[in-house]
Amino acid sequence: MLELLLWPFVAGLVLTAIHAYFGLHVLARGVVFVDLSLAQVAALGLTVAILAGHSVQSEAGYWYAFAFAIGGAMLFALVRPYEKALQQEAVIGIVYAVSASLGVLALDRAPQGAEHIKQLLIGSILTVTPGEVGELALLYAAIGAVHLVFRRPLVEVSFDPPLAAARHRRVFLWDVVFYGSFALVVTSSVRIAGVLLVFSYLIVPAALAGLFARGLRQRLLLAWALGGAVTAAGLYASWTWDLPTGPAIVTAFGAATALVALGFAARKLTTRTAGIFVCAVAALAGLLLAAVPQMGQPWLDALEDIAPPVQTTFLDSGERLTRKEALESIERRSAELARLRALEQDVRWGKIEMEPENTERLRQYLAGISEISAGDQLVLHHLRGKARERQRFALGLPLLLLGAAGLYALVRRR
Amino acid sequence: MIRTLVVALAALAAAAPQAVFAQEKLQVVTTSADLKSLVEAVGGEGVDVESLAAPEQDPHSVEVKPAQLARLRRAALIVRIGLDHEPWLARLPAPGVPVLDVSKSVRLLQAETPRLRVERRAHVHAYGNTHYWLDPYNARPMTASIVAALAALRPAERALFEANRDAFLSRLGEKIAEWETALKPYRGTKVVVVHDSWAYFAERFGLQIVAAAEPHPGVPPSPAELAALFKRMREAGVPILIADPHANPALVRQIEEKGGAKSVTLLPSGPDYIGLFEENVKRLSAALKPG
Repeated sequence: MLELLLWPFVAGLVLTAIHAYFGLHVLARGVVFVDLSLAQVAALGLTVAILAGHSVQSEAGYWYAFAFAIGGAMLFALVRPYEKALQQEAVIGIVYAVSASLGVLALDRAPQGAEHIKQLLIGSILTVTPGEVGELALLYAAIGAVHLVFRRPLVEVSFDPPLAAARHRRVFLWDVVFYGSFALVVTSSVRIAGVLLVFSYLIVPAALAGLFARGLRQRLLLAWALGGAVTAAGLYASWTWDLPTGPAIVTAFGAATALVALGFAARKLTTRTAGIFVCAVAALAGLLLAAVPQMGQPWLDALEDIAPPVQTTFLDSGERLTRKEALESIERRSAELARLRALEQDVRWGKIEMEPENTERLRQYLAGISEISAGDQLVLHHLRGKARERQRFALGLPLLLLGAAGLYALVRRR
Repeated sequence: MIRTLVVALAALAAAAPQAVFAQEKLQVVTTSADLKSLVEAVGGEGVDVESLAAPEQDPHSVEVKPAQLARLRRAALIVRIGLDHEPWLARLPAPGVPVLDVSKSVRLLQAETPRLRVERRAHVHAYGNTHYWLDPYNARPMTASIVAALAALRPAERALFEANRDAFLSRLGEKIAEWETALKPYRGTKVVVVHDSWAYFAERFGLQIVAAAEPHPGVPPSPAELAALFKRMREAGVPILIADPHANPALVRQIEEKGGAKSVTLLPSGPDYIGLFEENVKRLSAALKPG
């Protein structure tokens, strides 16, 4: 585990370090989608590089991408003074849509690049190499140093434009420095991690830190801690639940945001609002069960898994027996299936020698018992459907009435 | 303006090819370059073929251009791979144009029952593996179905189509013998593939595919899947990894390093059917050659 996940984790820390910082700036400037837009411009640059005969992985490809991203960055710096007339977010959106479309037009002439560009935007943090992480760390340390040296004007221009104006800062120059270094960061990060992950590293830690801390330094420290923790959690989830790594980390960022939001909501929650919420959910669930029983009812499925009588009460004795037999058969076969699948794998990989006829027999036998297990699952599904028809009025209607009554009482109590 | 355009387009679409160009070449549109090559081999001078997808393109997601759409609607015949290989074709309106689904003529691999498919999780090849043209023996039934379809449109030229097909199959037969000789020393070699597109090719030339690194295209493998793959590869000493041109280079590099296999990129599609195998056999035997 450690061997595979160590470098993705280090890469996650490097990404956190620079993106959490830029995220604070981006949120202060109100240009949340700027990195998606710049990544798309960089991808357009790469497409042009392919048209010019360079390969996707080449150095030339990277510099094309960077040059295009710098072009996009200059454009954003140029339009900032006209924010009152034309919102920056609008320009960012237009640049995104147009460069994505231009990319499609260009790829029409060089179809061999399409898949690689798509992969580039998806990224592949799991397969990052120590060399790539080292280069990234060095580059970001250099950019970080520049931002540290010029922190006063850069922070003023992002966080307090009136103060910057009062101090006669050269806003355009500092905007060019900001967007230019940001373009370099985005072009380099997206190569490794893909747009979705880079966007998450940029926005989520900075946004969450903003909820808990005031000062810039405190927010940055908190964002770093959050980014590191979420990276570790995402990698752990990816390993434990067998999930693709990049999307798992992005989802971990989403879960962290949801948890914080729930925490804030819970703090403001009174008994009455909680009651209204519970009653409304109960009434809605009851209504759906009564109106469309065959629609998926995940809450009832889960409840039946925990407490089978919720279902079996609505089955007759013959159906209950069939259900019991199907469940036993699935349980019995699942162990055998797992054993035979492992055996088939061992034979396939040459760990165990087996005659070709026996290999074929094993394959057929596996297919056969998989079929029977799938059949048992269908039986269970069918019985669940039968129970639903009966739960419809015996469970759905009371739930609807109870929920509605509770809701009515709570709303009137005001 | 728009109205004129619509009227012009409608007139274009209504111009029935059979009526106007009775003695002209048959206009055929295929969904892949390989099918184009086979239709040309059978139809010879009597057909004019265009493929909607270029060989380098991902065949699952093709964006058709207006000129191609116009050609499709005017076509006398559409030839497709079938199954779920070209989902985009269903959205193209070409009413009245006969469609030849070549998959109906061949024996399919990995065509499990729907219930087992559910158990195997998401699967792009939901009705059987679609890369059947990568077994050169399948060219026989495939070209037979093409002859039947062309002859139905031009009954007078059936003998010509048959003769073209025989000449092509005899050329192919000689080549197949060469390819089988070239790859004979490596029969039974275990290979790992990045995508599940080489089942037919491997079966024909006696390679044993033990695993696909990215079973679901577009979804990167999880760390646990990769760790298991590397362990198995090292234990079994798998010498070769077959990648597609679309494969993620970072993933290929990592499997090479950690699984201890050499990678070779084979082409799943090409403008010349025989040339495609020629190239793939050349690449594969070079990669498998010891030392």
